[in-house]
Parts: sequence; structure tokens; C-alpha cells
Amino acid sequence: MSQILPNLTPEFFRLLLSGMAVNFEIAAIALLLGVALAVPLVLLRLGGGIPGRLASLLVGLMRAAPTFVVMFFLLNALPRGIGLSGAMIVAVALVPYAASYIADSGVDAVRQLRAGSRQAGLLILPNIARSFFVMVMSSSAGAAIGVREGIAVILREAEQAHGLGQILVLFAIGVICFGIPLQVGFAIIRAIQARLGRPSLPEEEAALTGEATVPIEQT
Amino acid sequence: MRAAVLVVALALATGSAWADASPDAALAGLLDEARDAASTPGTCAQPGIDRLVKIYCAGRIRIGAREYYPLFGTKNGDVWTGYEIDVARDIAKKLGVNIEFSKAKAATRIPMLADDNVDLIIATMGHNTERDSQVLFIRPHYYQSETIVVGPRGLVIRGWDDLRGRTVCVTVGNGSNAELVAHGVRLLLFGEAETLPDRLSDETCLLVAQDDSFFAYYLANPEFSARFDDKFGFAQVPWGMAVARTGSDELARALDLMSEIFHRDGVFLAAARANHIATAFLVRQQEVWNRPACNTDTGSSNPACVLPPLNIVQQPTPFAPEVAAFKRWVALLTGSQPSLPMLETAPAWSLFLSGIVNSLLLIGGALAATLGFALLFGAMMASGTRLLRWPARAITAALQSSPILLTLAMTSVFVHAIAPYSSGLALIASIVALGLSNGSNAGQAIAEAYLTFHAEAGASATPASALFLRAVSRAATQIVAFLINAAKGTPIASFIGAPELLSALTDITSFSSGRGTTYTLLLVFYTGVVILVVWLCHRFQALLERRGAVA
Repeated sequence: MSQILPNLTPEFFRLLLSGMAVNFEIAAIALLLGVALAVPLVLLRLGGGIPGRLASLLVGLMRAAPTFVVMFFLLNALPRGIGLSGAMIVAVALVPYAASYIADSGVDAVRQLRAGSRQAGLLILPNIARSFFVMVMSSSAGAAIGVREGIAVILREAEQAHGLGQILVLFAIGVICFGIPLQVGFAIIRAIQARLGRPSLPEEEAALTGEATVPIEQT
Repeated sequence: MRAAVLVVALALATGSAWADASPDAALAGLLDEARDAASTPGTCAQPGIDRLVKIYCAGRIRIGAREYYPLFGTKNGDVWTGYEIDVARDIAKKLGVNIEFSKAKAATRIPMLADDNVDLIIATMGHNTERDSQVLFIRPHYYQSETIVVGPRGLVIRGWDDLRGRTVCVTVGNGSNAELVAHGVRLLLFGEAETLPDRLSDETCLLVAQDDSFFAYYLANPEFSARFDDKFGFAQVPWGMAVARTGSDELARALDLMSEIFHRDGVFLAAARANHIATAFLVRQQEVWNRPACNTDTGSSNPACVLPPLNIVQQPTPFAPEVAAFKRWVALLTGSQPSLPMLETAPAWSLFLSGIVNSLLLIGGALAATLGFALLFGAMMASGTRLLRWPARAITAALQSSPILLTLAMTSVFVHAIAPYSSGLALIASIVALGLSNGSNAGQAIAEAYLTFHAEAGASATPASALFLRAVSRAATQIVAFLINAAKGTPIASFIGAPELLSALTDITSFSSGRGTTYTLLLVFYTGVVILVVWLCHRFQALLERRGAVA
């Protein structure tokens, strides 16, 4: 039994929890920056005309940009003098995803409100909350550039584990630790949605927000 | 009697010839000539005199040295210490002049010589074929470094086989990075070597690779060496003192001879021991320079005695001249020249091409796997048998709760438990991980659609297979969303060593310049590919929906 269970010290769990706090911090920063960028894009798109089309084009490009590549682009292409920390680079890399998602939800929310459906319009709030949890999961990409977030702690411990059994136990701990807040978060979102009523989103939007299932932004 | 005189005369002649051919005699003669020239009135004011004479004119030698390179060159207040500083002092003593030290950094070493700010550079400079055209290196070399892999004491790393597939932290531009890449090592890049020991200590990096001369200071620290040790070394580089290419012929000759003598007499070795740095190379060199064939005034030009420079010249691509012309044209238009390392050398071009091909294979594979797993999980979750339904639901719940990076790592561990590491296997593991992660979610959508049809159909006699096909059509939007997600997720495969484009370009930029251009092209490539996948997926969605409408 002792060969299957890795030697998990209180220090490991302390590091894991502080690493997960970094995941939440990254997601919070990305969300704030995403909202700040999404608001003018929503206004431009609703205004129509050439600015509206340009805003739609920008949103389309941001939606297509893989977060993992954006992260490496920021890490390598930005001048060194800017001096962003690793966690901040991951947060900024998530902004295209956050901004495009919130801009899509925002346009839809305003249209619902204009159509007289206040409840459907308010569904932007659980949608934003959903994007936050999606970004908590996506922020694990930071492990690839040396950010000490939760998954980096798990992988670091796994590299020193003895045998497949110990590695799988560590991975299971990672799944449980990330799964609990994610599932609780989505349960709360579902409860809010049920309270507000089902949205009348177009089909594509439903896919992006994940009505039946939850598409996790895969960096 | 006549014969005896002849023998004595011959012996004297031979002895005198030996004395004349020794590096000591040649050096003494050279220095005497320079001193005489410097003391001749008017000589010091003449243009074009050799730097050796100028040194005697000024009564001091200007030496560029590292200001913070522990054990080799350190300045504390006005006090300079380290191996290279001691070597500089030995040289000045032999010349009989004073020293004036100047701070030299890696980026300024060569310009300092070209601008005549110093007479000599002794600043941890590796001797390679590229630098040979910029400065005049002194032979024999005064030191040799190698790249060492450092990690926790408990971790067993004996050589390349143990390192393959692992992540090693390195600094950008380190010449040995290409060798790590060639052995299947994943690189985590850092800008400055000074950050590496900290990243080891805070466990961001499990292993780091850097010059042994850099880690000598840290490994001499009892606290650091209690936790970490040197696993193995590779990529040996001889270090050379250097002088300017023009106006320094006599100075270079004097330093060549001095270096021979310093090796032979153990002067370099004694300085190394006094500064607690590795001495294995210097011990070998002392043996070499005590050989009669090397201990001569021509020893420094004897290939059997001196080491060659490190050959870092890479074969250019057949279209390298056109690339250079294009860069010049862009520079004329914009005022700044782009860097395109992936188009300039054959190894980088080969990595770039295979990166593009592997990326396209990965995207195609991830899309196919996502669709395959979606149908499999959908069928299992829609099944009337609990034995199929429950495991599928449990796996889906676990995959939904696992960040993709963890899912990738898990798949990689499983795959490599079956077969030894290879880049092809890493590609397969990535396809499986991306397919599982997205396919399970899409499968859940299919199952949910199936259940709604099943409820609507009630007890009617519609066959299950027909209902399932209609469920796939109804879940088209979700399936497409997860297919796009899978395509967007492919670059993350580089994390487990899949040789796709991000991985290839990271490797290229680790041993060349042009990171800005390279990563901009990468972003354009992946964004373009995802836009194409989105377009194709929407056509696929329309097809599914048309089939659903017909059904």
C-alpha cells in the first residue's frame, strides 16, 4: 500500500492550495480585463456600420486564437522591459477568450433586453460566472511556462513519484481538487439559470455557453 | 682532441637551438623588443604600432573582465577577485606592467575590443567559429566549460536516456540547447542564467542545464549542494582570451606563448585551485604542454597541441540568399530588419517543416478522435445497460473535472507505460487526450439528445439505431463546438513533447534569435488554422442538420 500511496506531506497540500489560489487569481484578472475589453466591443457591434463590422472581425479573431499560443507569443514577443510575471502573462493570454465570450454574451443580452425579455438578458451573469470557472481550468496552461499554479504542483510531485500507482494517485488528487470547485460552481450557475428561466439564445451561442455540456476552453 | 671539440661544439649548438625554440626564449625576445621600441623616443606617438608596444608605452594593460560571475570574475567595491582576475594579474606580472580592469558583459565583450576600450578580454568567452571572425583568440585556451544538468540529489539521471521526454529549464540562446532538443528533451526557456538556481530552489524547475562554470559557485555552497547535484555534462566549449583582430599581432603572439608557459608550469592550475573551480581540463592541459612536441615556440599553432574552436556554423538553406535579400528589402521599407531563423539554416528549416506537418496531423487526428469518442461515449451513455452507461458517465465527469494539461499528462503516462518515449508516441498520446476530453463532452450531448428523442418516441417502435442517428444530428451544434475546441487545444500538445509547430519553433528560438517574428508567425498560423476548422465544422454541422431534417 505504501508503494502505491505517494509520501504526501502537509507541505504538498499547502503548495497545492496556494497553487490553486494562483489559478483563481489568474482567472479573476483575465475576467476583469476581458470585461473591460468586451464592453466597447459590444457597444461597437450594437452600433453597426463599419466600426461594428470591425469589432465583429476582432471578436472572431480573438475567438480563434488558441490561448496556449497567445501565452507563448506574449512570453516571447513582448519587449523584456514590460516585465509581466508568469501569472500575469497567463491572465493576459486568457483575455482574448474572455473578451470574445463576454462580447458574444453581451450582444445577446442587450438584444434580449431590447426584445423585452429581462430574465433572458440577465443570463449574462451566469454566463460570465461560467467563463470564470472555465478560465480557472484553462489557467493550468501556466505550468508550461513555470507558473506555480495547482497543476504545476501536481506534475512536479508526479515527476518525483515512484511508479505508475503513485503518479495516478497524484493525478486523482488533481482531478478532485479542480473538480470540486468546478462542479460546485456549475451547480450554482445551473441553479441561477433555473431561477432566471431558460435562455432563448441562438444555437451557436448555446454551444459556446454550454447548455447541456460545458465546453472547457482548451487553451 | 679535435673530435672532442667537435662534440662539445655540436652539443652547445644543439642546446642553443633548443633554448631558442622554447616558448620562454621566444617570449623573452618578443617582450624585450617591445620594451625597446616603447623606450625609443617618438615611437609611442606613432600611429599603427602594435598594442604590445602601446601597453609598454602606457605602463599598463587594459583588461575587460566579468563583474559578477562568481569564482571567475567578481567586483566587490574596488576589489576584483576570481580565476580570470588572477590570470589577468599573472599576465600583467609577466609583462611587468600595471592592470586597469573594465567591466565586460556577454554582449559588450567583442565591441569593447573593436572600439579599442580594452587591450585584452578575459571574460568567460567560449571560442567558437563564429567569433573567430570577430576577434583574435589566444591559444592554448585558458579554460574549458561544459553544460551540466543539475537536479535534486534523489533523482537518478545518468545520461541522455534518462533525460528524454523530461522538461529542462535553460536560458534562451544557449549554444547547447540544440543538443538537448536533439535528444528529445523539452525546454522551458528563461531569459537570465541567474534565475535558474532560484527556479530549482522554489521547485519551478526539476532540472536545469547551464555552464558548469556558472553552477560552480552554487555547487560549492553546502546548502545548495545538499539538495542538488550535477547529473552529467555535455557540449564542452574551450574558453579563450581575445584581442582585437587588427593591431594586436605581437600582443597575441606574446599571450600565446605566455599561455603555453602557464599551462606547462601549472600557473593556470594554481589559479583555478585557489578559486575552487573545476580543474580536470587544466590538469590534462598541463600534461599536454609538458610534451616536447608542444613545449616549443610553435606549440600554439600545432593542431596536435591546441583545441579547435567549437563549430557552430549551421548549413544554410538553399534559399538563404533570397531570404537575406527579402530581409534587406523589408529593412529598407520599414527601417527594421525581421528575423526569420526558421528559413535561414537547414536544421531550423527542417524542424519548421516537420512542425507544420505534425501540427496538421495533430489537428486532423484530434478532430477524428473527438468525433470517434463522441460517438462511442454517446452510444455508451444512451445504452440501456448500466454496465456501459455508468462507466461512461464516470469517465466523462472525471474528464470534465480535469484541466486539459492534467489529462494530457495522464494520457502521456499511460502511453509511455506501454512503450518507451518517442515523439510519434507523444503525438498519439496528445490526439487521444484531446479526443477523450472533447469527445466525452460531445458524447454527453448526443446521449442527452437521444434521451429527449426516446422520451418523445415513447413506446413507439422506432429502432434505437435510427434514434441515435437523429440524436447525433440534434447534437450537431455541441459536436461542432467541441471539434473547434479540440483544434484550438492542439498547441498544448507541445507540453508533453509532441513535435508540433509550437514545439518546433520553441526549439528553433532556443538556439537562434528572432523570437518576436517567430511567435508572431506561430500565432498567425494557429489562428488561421482554427478559422479554417471553424468554417469546415460549420459545413459539417449543416450537413448533419440536413440529415437530421430528412430523418
